[in-house]
Amino acid sequence: MSFITIDFALFVTAVLLVYYIFPKKTRWTVLLIASYIFYGITGITNLIYILVTTVSAFICAMLIGKQGTKQKEYLKEHKESLTKEEKKSYKAGIKKKQKLILAAGLLINFGILVYLKYADWTIAYINLFRLSRFGRTDFIPFRNFILPLGISFYTFQTMGYLIDIYYGKYEHERNPFKFALFVSFFPQIVQGPISRFGELAPELFAEKDFDFTRIKSGFYRIMWGLFKKLVIADRLAGYVSGTIAQRDTYRGPYILLAVFFYSMQIYGDFSGGIDVALGVAEMFGITLHENFERPFFSKSISEYWQRWHMTLGTWFKDYIFYPLSLNKGIIRLGKTVREHGMEKIGKRIPIYIPMFIVWFTTGMWHGSQNRYVVWGLFNFLFIVLGTELEPLSQKIVLKLRLDEGGVLMRSYRVIKTFWLMSFLRIFDISKDVPSAFNAFKLIFKDWGSFRIERVFDELSLPFEDFTVAVTAIVIMFVFDLIQRRGSVRKRIFRLPVPAQWAILSLLVIAVSVFGYYGPGYDAASFIYGAF
Amino acid sequence: METVISILKGVHPEVDYETETGLIDKRIFDSFDVVNIVGELMDEFDIEITAEHMVPENFNSARAIYDLVRSLEEE
Repeated sequence: MSFITIDFALFVTAVLLVYYIFPKKTRWTVLLIASYIFYGITGITNLIYILVTTVSAFICAMLIGKQGTKQKEYLKEHKESLTKEEKKSYKAGIKKKQKLILAAGLLINFGILVYLKYADWTIAYINLFRLSRFGRTDFIPFRNFILPLGISFYTFQTMGYLIDIYYGKYEHERNPFKFALFVSFFPQIVQGPISRFGELAPELFAEKDFDFTRIKSGFYRIMWGLFKKLVIADRLAGYVSGTIAQRDTYRGPYILLAVFFYSMQIYGDFSGGIDVALGVAEMFGITLHENFERPFFSKSISEYWQRWHMTLGTWFKDYIFYPLSLNKGIIRLGKTVREHGMEKIGKRIPIYIPMFIVWFTTGMWHGSQNRYVVWGLFNFLFIVLGTELEPLSQKIVLKLRLDEGGVLMRSYRVIKTFWLMSFLRIFDISKDVPSAFNAFKLIFKDWGSFRIERVFDELSLPFEDFTVAVTAIVIMFVFDLIQRRGSVRKRIFRLPVPAQWAILSLLVIAVSVFGYYGPGYDAASFIYGAF
Repeated sequence: METVISILKGVHPEVDYETETGLIDKRIFDSFDVVNIVGELMDEFDIEITAEHMVPENFNSARAIYDLVRSLEEE
């Protein structure tokens, strides 16, 4: 059931009614049942996958928690009799057991994800190897798995919880049904945000009063999300894919425009979907973590990644980057290199090696194709270059007497970051790595042959649609800029009631009239739903 | 405290660690420095520093770093 369907709207309305009729104490059970119905509709087999993740993570967390309790009680009981060394050795024994349980949990869950996501990718390489090495043409057949909806998102969220329990960040959840809701909460299962247990659990289980302002606020946010998705993203999709597919005919500015529009498309699509998710949750009185913070206004690639898909970025930072970076082995390697006279390289090892792994994994997370891996590694390369060239950049700024905090320099950095990130997305819209490089080269060709009429007449973006898309993009950025000074909705709610209704009506009309409903009025699926 | 300061001096000898309270906020330490300092601290005091400890408040001054080490030693 896609977010962009009447079915979904009816489903949410029905769940809201039942939710607020139920006593406050038991409202979370309504959400649990609704989440399982929502997920069950996507396919009964999908329920098996999410149940495996829920049950295995619940049991592993419980076992890890029990070891922690056992340790606390033992140390309390033998507080006086144990030496410091004995305490340490006891703790080390417990930690080892906890590590084994954690490893089992991670292996089961990431094992399922990796198997479903990368089986065919691996088979393709095995077949290629067998053919080139032994001339064998009896290819291993592809498995053609269909990924269960949101499996990457709920697996990451649940494994984050397990790792947090291992580090003793909070107590494990003792109620399996409450835990099941944490894993399956329906607004966020399609494409995130990836929540942390410490943040989401209090939201899910707090006994909140019915608050009409939150219903209204949630509805505004849903409509804003639909505006970004239906008016901008879906309208541009045809031009972007059409131009890239016919890049030998439409070169130079056509491709450059496709690159620009794809950035708008993916931002409208993904952040729009997140707006819907956060808006729906808000109607239930639940605040989810923000996933975007005006990323196109970032002044560097590192900053961009702190503002785009924020919950995935912090997931990678907390659960992959830091554990690797603070790993004693990697730190010792850095130290050894430093002691051998290579101070600068040694100092960078505990940062750059984990960063390389993070970007490789981020690329793989986006899809089981080489182009995503290359995309990830280019991000890594650009971040390293940005960091290493920063002193030189500062020197140039000083020499030219430019004002680093001034409008000129800030605009330069924002535009540079925007285009670097947009160019990297060519890997996203091309079918493979060579096509992406080819498309990039073609941007520089045939500039003289550009005719804007061909965009309107030949590339699925008639003049009216072009005008609507550009106007909507401008509106989106204006609102982004206003939002910098605080919540736009809070400002709207301070206006007189008729003005509030007028704005909401305008938004609903804009979505209804200018929304791009595609052939057969079937809105395109969310791009990130496939990850 | 002396051991902490001597580790910090090994990275940035020019800083007055008795008075400086903006090691991160003033960008005296970059991320490379912090990770390398954390490595030294883990080795020296046999403690485990994890992602949740990697916040500016824990590294803005020698005193804050010392407090972090003490709290982890007591765990």
